[in-house]
Amino acid sequence: MLKDLYEFKEDLGKRGIFFCLSGPISQNLVAEIGTTLEQHMTMGEAGKSTVLRVFSTVVENAQNIMRYSDEREEDFSLGIIAVGYENKHYFVLCGNMVDNNKIGKLRENLTKLQNMNKDELKKYYRRKRREGPPPESSGAGLGFIDMAKKASKPIEFNFKTIDDKLSFFSMKIVI
Amino acid sequence: MNSLIIEATKYTPEISFDCEQHTLGIKGKSYPENTSVFYQPVFEWLEEYLENIGEQNITVNMELIYFNSSSSKVLMDFCDVLDEAASDGKRITLNWIYEEDDEDALEFGEEFQEDLESVTFNLVEKAPER
Repeated sequence: MLKDLYEFKEDLGKRGIFFCLSGPISQNLVAEIGTTLEQHMTMGEAGKSTVLRVFSTVVENAQNIMRYSDEREEDFSLGIIAVGYENKHYFVLCGNMVDNNKIGKLRENLTKLQNMNKDELKKYYRRKRREGPPPESSGAGLGFIDMAKKASKPIEFNFKTIDDKLSFFSMKIVI
Repeated sequence: MNSLIIEATKYTPEISFDCEQHTLGIKGKSYPENTSVFYQPVFEWLEEYLENIGEQNITVNMELIYFNSSSSKVLMDFCDVLDEAASDGKRITLNWIYEEDDEDALEFGEEFQEDLESVTFNLVEKAPER
């Protein structure tokens, strides 16, 4: 176990990941992670907009996990968030369990966003903001669109079937 | 009525609505877990204030370093309330304050500006704090 921990850390490093959190995600944690990442990135060469986009993507993902993860322990929602740097771009990875019956809708929404250009995303965001959230949303229903707008290429996503009830939903957002 | 002062936290902005100076300020970051819980008293105060106000010039300063997507919706609603009051004859100036190299904040400001018809809207660039 102890030896493996080093291997695990090295493995993250090889993938360009400089921050990773797996477990219960809470609002307090979100604020701390955000602030720490901001400081870490500001020490590097990242510009203001980049730092804020990474920060924003981490917050949206964390709040998605808090609201929608289908793996819970009492009041906490479980998920994983990682932040890395590769090919001169920051990226954010995010994953959590979802009920299999939610996959269709998620896939549909995310595929739609993948096929939009920057301008279409901007217009879609403004239209959706006017319309208000869909019934299944407990936020404003804008999180994915916001991330897609801030990303430098289309959001990648995947569903890995775990059993007949749950799948692991993961996303990669390149800033 | 009394002024509304709410101190900033890590994830909610400072609210300083001064009903004597007629300056309303929202400043900081906005990504609360539950947006409507935080903003409900803000909207209630604003509604009462606008009902009782006369011909005075009102200045609204919005200086948000960062806000999440559900706050973005609330801020739009906030601007809409101001715009409606302005179309009823209230004299409202809305300053959207953003840091020099923050493209996204500028873009949000420009979008709000396009949507608003009656308030006097200014995009105000300021130098970064650090």
